[in-house]
Amino acid sequence: MNLQNMEATVDPELVHHWITAIGSDSSAAVPILQAIQGHYGYLPRKAMDLVVAQTGINASQLYGVATFYAQFRLKPVGRHMIKVCHGTACHVQGADRLNTSLRHALGISNPEQDTASNGSYTVENVACIGCCSLAPVMVIDGQAFPNVKGADAQRQLFKHARENNEILAGQDAEN
Amino acid sequence: MSNTQWTITVGEGSCGIAAGAPEVTELLKKRLPDAQFKSVGCVGMCHREVMVETVDDQGRSYLWGNLTKKNLPKVIQFLRGDGVLPKTLLIRSSEEPDCEGGHYLTRQTRIALRNVGQLNPTSMAQYLDRGGYDAIKKIITSGMTPEAVIEEVKIAKIRGRGGAGFPTATKWGFARNAPGDVKYLVCNGDEGDPGAFMDRSLLEGDPHNVLEGMLIAAYAIGASKGYAYIRAEYPLAVQYFGQAIQDAREAGYLGYHILGSDFSFDIKIKEGAGAFVCGEETALMASIQGERGMPRIRPPFPAISGLFGKPTIINNVETLANLPWIIQNGGAAYAAIGTEKSSGTKVFALAGAIARGGLVEVPMGVTIRHVLENIGGGSASTRPLKAVQLGGPSGGCIPERLFDTPIEYEAINATGAIMGSGGMVVMDSKSCMVDLARYFLEFTENESCGKCTFCRIGTLRMKEILTRICAGEGTMEDIDLLEDLGRSVQSASLCGLGQTAANPVLTTIKYFRDEYIAHVQEKRCPGGVCKGLITHTILNDKCSGCSICERYCPVNAITGTLKHPDTWVIDPKICINCGMCAEVCNPDAILAA
Ligand SMILES: Cc1cc2nc3c(=O)[nH]c(=O)nc-3n(C[C@H](O)[C@H](O)[C@H](O)COP(=O)(O)O)c2cc1C
Ligand code: FES
Repeated sequence: MNLQNMEATVDPELVHHWITAIGSDSSAAVPILQAIQGHYGYLPRKAMDLVVAQTGINASQLYGVATFYAQFRLKPVGRHMIKVCHGTACHVQGADRLNTSLRHALGISNPEQDTASNGSYTVENVACIGCCSLAPVMVIDGQAFPNVKGADAQRQLFKHARENNEILAGQDAEN
Repeated sequence: MSNTQWTITVGEGSCGIAAGAPEVTELLKKRLPDAQFKSVGCVGMCHREVMVETVDDQGRSYLWGNLTKKNLPKVIQFLRGDGVLPKTLLIRSSEEPDCEGGHYLTRQTRIALRNVGQLNPTSMAQYLDRGGYDAIKKIITSGMTPEAVIEEVKIAKIRGRGGAGFPTATKWGFARNAPGDVKYLVCNGDEGDPGAFMDRSLLEGDPHNVLEGMLIAAYAIGASKGYAYIRAEYPLAVQYFGQAIQDAREAGYLGYHILGSDFSFDIKIKEGAGAFVCGEETALMASIQGERGMPRIRPPFPAISGLFGKPTIINNVETLANLPWIIQNGGAAYAAIGTEKSSGTKVFALAGAIARGGLVEVPMGVTIRHVLENIGGGSASTRPLKAVQLGGPSGGCIPERLFDTPIEYEAINATGAIMGSGGMVVMDSKSCMVDLARYFLEFTENESCGKCTFCRIGTLRMKEILTRICAGEGTMEDIDLLEDLGRSVQSASLCGLGQTAANPVLTTIKYFRDEYIAHVQEKRCPGGVCKGLITHTILNDKCSGCSICERYCPVNAITGTLKHPDTWVIDPKICINCGMCAEVCNPDAILAA
């Protein structure tokens, strides 16, 4: 599947709603982008254009902000989001292996890529989640998993995929 | 079956929830329908999550840990009066408070954390029950002037807990005396240091206390508006703090004419967006204003010209959390704790190779060893501890032989590390100090906002050199070059990010030069971490032939016949040294060296 096809259909009403609720001066730039990303999982170009048209925020500020902060993504994401903590505690406890095993199970071999080709999952690295004494930690769709070793990461992913009817493209280590 | 009335308290901070508190609660509620339930934040013993405290009608209490759906029935049986005491799950009881498990809590002095894990963070009533908002009431009803509040904080001698340790009262004085009718008070809840979670626990576990701290600070400097800048990775903190603001507003503690006085103050939450540099004051303000979080040159200092050009004070969450106690108990009581130059207590987040990881609050002046050994319980494995990383990317590594250093700003600085915000990541012999330095440089290089050349290019070059050394391609000159570059970046950067970026490198070279030399000269990683310098081999005499390593190897480098230990091998040409096999191998038959 072509990831381009994953571009979201933007609802102008919704964007308008966020702008009215949050504000339209320049200090609203970050929260408006957060609202958009909270809904679509990334920042669709169309939504950004609507913000520029309807607020006092100009395109260079908006894109400047969108590219500066690690939280924002300009590319579409998979249907589910996996965040792997790479904070210090998780790093020293082997966070790298979580990526290896998850990417393996999802069949993502290109290091430039972070989303499975069937659009099921995106694997993202994040800085500390704040549960360091339970390291390594990962989060799938908002649910945190403590003390996950590389192998556990795959097991949790398989379980999640089963419950959400997702097909994993990679080699299934369960078999 | 007895009909004891139990009050059951469940730790439901982020860590408790992650460990499975919701399903434990559900099961308890089902099996003990008559019990009273209470939800609290994390008491700090994160290593024992899920944690539950049960108290009976006669005041007998039991604190349970490591609960799961599987072992819970044993506890339930005991609570229902039939069944033996499941000792392995018990941390302490009222009969035996000073047991090994109890030491963790009894050896602490809790001021900032005094309510964390004791009350439901979403219940304002419980905060009020524990003397909440009494400090701001005292200030307003006794007619304390802002100057008197600043004086009390000056007597307390508290220094900012955000890392730099600047005296809080002095900073406030600048803003108090700055001209302008609109002033801002900002709570810095960015907590960007990876490996630190003190601020999360405070915001999440006792939000009203932080909020009351903001009120006190705002009153002292004359601020009418406030922002709480909380990182987006802490959704529960954002939610609970938002709830606290709403409840406080409804109760008259926030908004116009607080408690009928002339003091008006209100707070908005701004969520961070994942930029470490935004913890720096001037970058944080740019971020609130909707710009890229780029630091700017000081002066003008924020206290004179800050947010939207107005006088602004930015205080760390933990600094604020100490204020209600200081006003209630007096500055002198606070100054009596800790040492002459570093008063009060400090909260640390213990993680890594430590037996009892979690949150600890200790009086300043105790030694690092006391925290790690007496409270943290020492190493989590049989391997001895080697070092502790203090202060995150701005900090440094303190080797075991300096563990008797007292926890005091100046004494810690003298080692080359910094107190920082309180993250303590503990290391044993299975960690590599060169890899750790590389890790931090990758972090700072990533997080550098790019405004100053030394920080942008210098950190990149340092990372490249460290990556080379970790890959076994370093030279002895590289080590000298790292020190040189480190000093240049330190002196020529605009903000604290660049000024401190070299600390992890400089301290690891200072204390662990032998590990650098092993990487460069012997092409060996003593910790068994650096992928380019280790190979994985199967120790056939230990192997059981179970094939689990084969199943988890992501590159199919492992082959062998089921139940024939002597047949198992790893093909070094295919192996990527990811370490998955060693991790899953039960008999410990895989060697990484
Ligand atoms: C790169 C960088 C990151 C920082 N991150 C934080 C942070 O996450 N939280 C914090 O309270 N202070 C952080 N600080 C320190 C703040 O700039 C500031 O000194 C502090 O919030 C002041 O509060 P205090 O006086 O109560 O300590 C950081 C500083 C730098 C240079
Ligand atoms: S380092 Fe991973 S949760 Fe903090």
